[in-house]
Amino acid sequence: MADIALEQVEDLEFPDDIHETATGISNPKLAMWVYLASDCLLFGGLISTYLLYKNRPGNIPGLAGSPLRASELFNIPFTSMTSFILLMSSLTMVLAVNSIMRGDKQRMRLWLVATAVLGGLFLGGQVYEFTEFVREGLGYTSNVSASAFYTLTGFHGAHVGVGVLMLLSAVGYSFRRDIQAEAIEVLGLYWHFVDIVWVVIFAIVYLIP
Amino acid sequence: MTTTAEELDNDSPAHPGEHHDHGPTDTFYFKIFLILVAITALEVSTYFWSSWFGKDSYKVAVPVLLIMMVVKFGLIASFFMHLRFDRRILTRVFYFGLGLALAVYIVAMSVMNIWTDNGNTRFNDPPPNAQPTTTIEGGAGG
Repeated sequence: MADIALEQVEDLEFPDDIHETATGISNPKLAMWVYLASDCLLFGGLISTYLLYKNRPGNIPGLAGSPLRASELFNIPFTSMTSFILLMSSLTMVLAVNSIMRGDKQRMRLWLVATAVLGGLFLGGQVYEFTEFVREGLGYTSNVSASAFYTLTGFHGAHVGVGVLMLLSAVGYSFRRDIQAEAIEVLGLYWHFVDIVWVVIFAIVYLIP
Repeated sequence: MTTTAEELDNDSPAHPGEHHDHGPTDTFYFKIFLILVAITALEVSTYFWSSWFGKDSYKVAVPVLLIMMVVKFGLIASFFMHLRFDRRILTRVFYFGLGLALAVYIVAMSVMNIWTDNGNTRFNDPPPNAQPTTTIEGGAGG
């Protein structure tokens, strides 16, 4: 009888016909976690590089050497607002995942679009920030400090951009075919990771003097 | 003794950590979000501490910021990314990568003397050498 009960549970827990694996975790989900773990190394490298060079804007032989530092141009109230927007997008993303878990596709689409819009707003904020910095005379090649800053925040922005594209693709796909709940969950993992990375960047790069 | 589907689904010994229809509610996630917003507000406030409490306040602000950053990281990973409700192997995979990254880059930054910054605009300087001791050569020779 317990065997029958177990079969019933399997029916409950694999509603989207996801194949069982040796680990009990589907391959796409495990792959996403492994990718996120490896992405920690990428962002760790970029953050370390920024920390090493943030106080050394100029005077490196053979390199451009504007004395301006990115940290002198930070607009903390503005960046706080964009951080709040990204944090809010994490909430809308988790609500989208919860909606599809309940089988409510209409609401899932709504939350996914909201997440994409918030991600787009964050990107707009980053473009505005970069534009202001360039206007102040801090370009990508002004000095190593600026290069490290733009590379770090630019890579994060690229991750957000890819996330927005994936969100919109998922919404479009959901109109044409049945979308698996797990696909949205895996997408959510990526999005939350982007938020986590910003939590670290915001504290270490922007707020710590 | 029989086990019903409902019982198995509740504590999930068959598939611990797999998704359930009755996971955390939207209200629960909203509460986590409010906590995150409150922490972020506190983080932002540290930026103004130097004007409120004096220049030395950064000595307190830096560890406070790091702690708040770790708490926010943990909350998002545990609840929004479902690590708390999912299989432990996922937690191990993710934190292994994170731990590896931390170890590698702390070592790399230490090798590049980031902890002994003395204002050199080109590179971090190595720690200052110990003062050389003077020795008297050929004291009572001859």
